Amino acid sequence: MKTNSSKALVVGAGISGIRSALDLAESGHQVILIDRSLHMGGILSRLDYQFPTNHCGMCKMLPLVERDSGSQFCLRKGLFHDNIELRLGCELTSVSGKPGEFSVTLRQAPTQVDPDLCTGCGICSQVCPVEVPDDFNAGLATRKAIYLPLPHAVPNPYVIDPAACDHCGKCLQVCPTGAINLSDQQRGNFLILVVDDEPAVRDSLKEWLVDEGFAVDMAESGRQALEMLRDKDYGLMLTDIKMPGMDGVELLQRAKQVRPELTVVMMTAYATVETAVEAMKEGAFDYLMKPFDPARMIPMVVRIFEDRMAARDLEIGVGAIVLACGTDYFNPAESKNTLGYGICPHVITGIEFERLVSGTGPTAGRLVRPADGKPARKIAWLQCVGSRDLQTNTDYCSSVCCMYAVKEALLAGEKAGEDVETAIFYMDMRAFGLPFQRYLDEAAARPGMRFERTRVHSVTPHPESGSPVLTYMGTDGKLVDETFDLVVLSVGQRPARRTEQLAEMTGCKLNQWGFPATAPLDPVSTDRPGIFVSGSASGLKDISESVIFASAAAARAAVAMGGGDGSSETDDKETAYRDVSGRRPKIMAIVCTCGQRLSTDRDGPLVEKRLKTDPAVGEVVFVDRLCTAGGWQKAQEAAAAKDFNRILVGACHPYLFVKKIKALSAAIRLAPHLIDAVDLGLTGPDSSPPAPALPVARLQAGLARLKAAVVDRLPEVEVAATALVVGGGVAGMQAALTMAERGHRVTLVEKSDRLGGNLDWLQTTIDGQDLQDLCRTMVSEVESHPNIKTMTGSGIVGGYGQVGSFFTTIRGPDGEISTLEHGVAILATGGREATTTAYGYGSSDRIITQRRLEQALADTSIKPAGLETVVMIQCVDSRRKPRNYCSRVCCPTTIKHCLKIKQQNPETAVYVLYRDIMTPGFMETYFTAARRAGVIFIPYDPENRPEVEVADGEKGAESVKVNCTDPVSGLKLTIETDLLVLATGIVPRLPAELAATFGVDVDEHGFFRPADSKWRPVDALKEGVFACGICLGPRAAVESMATGQAAASRALRIISRRRISSGHPVAQVRYSLCALCERCIEACPYRARMLDTDRTKVVVNTAMCQGCGTCAAVCPNGASVINGYLRQQMFETIDALTQAFDEPLDLEAGKV
Amino acid sequence: MNKVDQVPAAYRSNAEANREMDDIGRMIRACIQCGTCSGSCPNEFAMDLTPRRLWRLVLLGQEEEIFSSTTFCLCSACYYCTLRCPRGLPLTEAMYRLKQAAARRKVKAYRTSEAFYGSFLESVRRHGRVRESEFMTLYFSAMKNPLLPLRFASLGLKLMAKGKVDLRPPSRGDMRLAALFDKVARLESRQLTRNDR
Repeated sequence: MKTNSSKALVVGAGISGIRSALDLAESGHQVILIDRSLHMGGILSRLDYQFPTNHCGMCKMLPLVERDSGSQFCLRKGLFHDNIELRLGCELTSVSGKPGEFSVTLRQAPTQVDPDLCTGCGICSQVCPVEVPDDFNAGLATRKAIYLPLPHAVPNPYVIDPAACDHCGKCLQVCPTGAINLSDQQRGNFLILVVDDEPAVRDSLKEWLVDEGFAVDMAESGRQALEMLRDKDYGLMLTDIKMPGMDGVELLQRAKQVRPELTVVMMTAYATVETAVEAMKEGAFDYLMKPFDPARMIPMVVRIFEDRMAARDLEIGVGAIVLACGTDYFNPAESKNTLGYGICPHVITGIEFERLVSGTGPTAGRLVRPADGKPARKIAWLQCVGSRDLQTNTDYCSSVCCMYAVKEALLAGEKAGEDVETAIFYMDMRAFGLPFQRYLDEAAARPGMRFERTRVHSVTPHPESGSPVLTYMGTDGKLVDETFDLVVLSVGQRPARRTEQLAEMTGCKLNQWGFPATAPLDPVSTDRPGIFVSGSASGLKDISESVIFASAAAARAAVAMGGGDGSSETDDKETAYRDVSGRRPKIMAIVCTCGQRLSTDRDGPLVEKRLKTDPAVGEVVFVDRLCTAGGWQKAQEAAAAKDFNRILVGACHPYLFVKKIKALSAAIRLAPHLIDAVDLGLTGPDSSPPAPALPVARLQAGLARLKAAVVDRLPEVEVAATALVVGGGVAGMQAALTMAERGHRVTLVEKSDRLGGNLDWLQTTIDGQDLQDLCRTMVSEVESHPNIKTMTGSGIVGGYGQVGSFFTTIRGPDGEISTLEHGVAILATGGREATTTAYGYGSSDRIITQRRLEQALADTSIKPAGLETVVMIQCVDSRRKPRNYCSRVCCPTTIKHCLKIKQQNPETAVYVLYRDIMTPGFMETYFTAARRAGVIFIPYDPENRPEVEVADGEKGAESVKVNCTDPVSGLKLTIETDLLVLATGIVPRLPAELAATFGVDVDEHGFFRPADSKWRPVDALKEGVFACGICLGPRAAVESMATGQAAASRALRIISRRRISSGHPVAQVRYSLCALCERCIEACPYRARMLDTDRTKVVVNTAMCQGCGTCAAVCPNGASVINGYLRQQMFETIDALTQAFDEPLDLEAGKV
Repeated sequence: MNKVDQVPAAYRSNAEANREMDDIGRMIRACIQCGTCSGSCPNEFAMDLTPRRLWRLVLLGQEEEIFSSTTFCLCSACYYCTLRCPRGLPLTEAMYRLKQAAARRKVKAYRTSEAFYGSFLESVRRHGRVRESEFMTLYFSAMKNPLLPLRFASLGLKLMAKGKVDLRPPSRGDMRLAALFDKVARLESRQLTRNDR
């Protein structure tokens, strides 16, 4: 049952949009996922490699339970899900209403190539005479006006770039399926009125527009124009502003009275630009500046035409809106200092480099200079291009560039050989995520890798070779000119294009840098209720943060849509498939003839005869072009007419048919895994027909697989609709509240005697939000929520179970023991400030930690008024072995305290001794503020750390001196200080026994190990267990809240269903063969197997099994099997394929 | 409490003497020591301290080192550093302020520059333009070095031969620009006491 209130709109189909949409869809909501561009995947569709694995891994975002409801192939190729309606080339144009009942208008861009008819053969592109720079390859290659928006998408229909197309019609003539419609006739029906008192202007405009196929009338005065408007239905009026008699603005006003829906474009000379801008307020669509540039004018007219004539507006009711519009990248050509970009051809941006090393890129992944094809042996990366730059009004850090530069440098080594020289010019190397420092250390150890802490002043081409020469000041104060083969600018992020219009239309505020503003203590909520921001749209996030914020937005949207009662609609609409168990396989083969490449007359009878040698094959049907809607319709009719219990489809790319097979399966009530598609190998631009032997072999291989398909219903697991949250800090409380608001019962177990965790002592955030107040509010909300049972002073004693059904034993404050059944578990056990013995800590009361300073500044036991000098040391015991990770919160905390001290007493001298200041994102602005307030930042080398001398003195009045060297001035400094504050970092608090209880791994530092640090950042590998807050890795309070919401979102996928099943394929155990060696239990990467000690049997949790086959591979007895991949099936499949080569078919002679 | 020599008083002291340096320090506090200024500077090759190091010393209050260097004397005000500074700092203006501070402090290393600028402007003040022979006479007398004119002799003769030197003897002139000069002096002193940024 679909209702408006449970439907969500997700704007933007990049990874965050996909994550939000999938989370919502998996928990039973209908989702409309739209993207303005013609492909999904956003920026990530252009990036092939992500650190720290230097692989992709996007597919890890796909559903893990109920896998059959969505696609199960490479996510870069595309996505579908039963509950997601994907619309590409679609924009949101209006929003009205309130949460739960928004009314939105979507504008679907017209398609000139019918995607249902296009087979992706590519002949059109071969004949297209137009070549334009290819956006997908960042302009490094060219493409035709008819092109594939994404080279690897499935299905992959061609599209026409209306701005580039010159309407020659060549593609129209060659298209074998008649999929192309250039809408020229429609253009002739679009009437344009040109009004100008100068005949020359009128005539040239008419000529251009008639060339483009439009119908044009002319008027020489406003009066005449008005008369003409009364007579005919004009779509567009182009009018001059300065005309004798009635001027353009008056004409506009009066024309709008006659035809309110008329689009008017003002034509203006430079002198009347202001009038033209005024006219836009009066309702003009836009203006054109004289002298006219056809390159600007024609696309504008085409766009107006398409909006008016071809675009379809859809009015849809939705319950919540998620903005996942992502970010764009800075264009260095627009900067004051272009660093050679656009001038020296060997200077490229980071995105261009990604395309250069991509297999689908302009050089097919060979690392050469794009301008001259010469090898790049020495490459430099320049950081902070368009980030942390006050000259371009970017007082923020783009957060991703440091790690992408390091990754690209490593890729350069992989692609071009280990001896390639790489240098990264940076100011602070921001390795602030948990695995980043380790990755950075590994990169630094690579021979040929060099890090230079400086900014490059200029990039100039070498007078002889033309290679880029970098001029920079080394740390030693020497000016260096160094020549590189290739220079990569690590360009920073900017708000996505047209974010401003989106904000205006949705009524959401933007922050000072133009990103959608979120509430300070509600990290994904905009100021308009019911509208949420997902992923990097709210600013400067890497993949894992984007995914976390995307899940968080999904959770908030689910809550906002209301109506949650712990059950979902998906349970009610289950399709009842025909019961075909116990029947002999009876197969219908539907074979595509692919535009007669497989000739129906000549090859058809032979293929049929050969296939029918197998008694299971009942009928062979030949259909031309199954990939088109018409072809598929015929196939569906044929399948519905007879009662077969297996259907084999022989066509091309099997991915193309996954969605169609599902539709067919529903129509003829035959389970989808009993319908299979095989690639006949007929497609390709090569037009010679292949020998039919290969298609026949592939069909027979398909038959072998289908014959042995298991017909049983997928086993299901009952789900307890309740959750357990362990840890009552900010993250745990947030997770509990989110699930409780969705209508689920939650038990929140906290070890200490009250809720709050670190909020207990934290005072404010860096932007001044009161955390004590937040703590009070959240604790009272949790304690008063009817769906939350809070157990303070309690601990987990033990437990067992798997997704959907965990049994956990809890010891209460008085030692009483109780057992709880719950469907999911969320660990939010947090962390604490690390202790230290470094820098004289403990030897004087003057030496304290940042946590102590936070409390002391709040309770005024330390008053800045009494401090002459304060020294703060960063990275105490952090970012080096054994605690080789950045604690992320210390730098912002230090800066927060510096500002607090300077605010209360500007005379206090404050020194911060640091390695790299980690203020990612908008926090950078506080770093600048601290410098402006007069705080002195002195970098130190990890090999040459500051030294602290504590001289004897009266208790509490010891003299503390800090010795360090300022690398820039070269001065050896001795600072006698009133207070020495140490940033000791964060250590996790996740006891190993607790982790083991829930089958969770911890990393070498004791943090929760996520299933994948980038793509599944809050999930355990074991389904049904999630984590949030600091036990995932150090993070600030507000970021912890986002992880809490994200973990809740992931949990809601499961507990909003009454039953879950896995999907095909799934593993089974043949107990008669099983020797209970338990190797499979050990091998299963998803922890889906356990030994049932009561029944002495190895059991598979079918909801957790992903059908990977590891168990089948390790089983010595063949007792562990994967349904759909049984030994017999596989051998027969291989036999069928090899037989084609062993005994070539002599089809011509008719011998089969 | 802070008794260490090397370490600054820059942001703590209210003393009038430090006021000027505090002001210069405030102009460049947002500096991140990236070295773009030094990389940009066309005169960097002749400087004893790179601009980056100079600004760092200003932030650390190292007046002695600052004023014993010739770096700021060599600034030719091309504004390259100001254009390129990622922090958007007014570096050329700060160089001017250092020149003024050096002049006021009668810094030894800056004496030649100061005498040169002073003599040039005095001639302008008197006549509304520079009279070369007067300018050089003022400069030589300010430098109090009898051998100095010999160093300029060959250049002077060449210029005289081309008629490029105004040979009229020094005179008081009509001083019509005096009011303008006085106003500038008043503005400068006001700026000095202004606590901007």
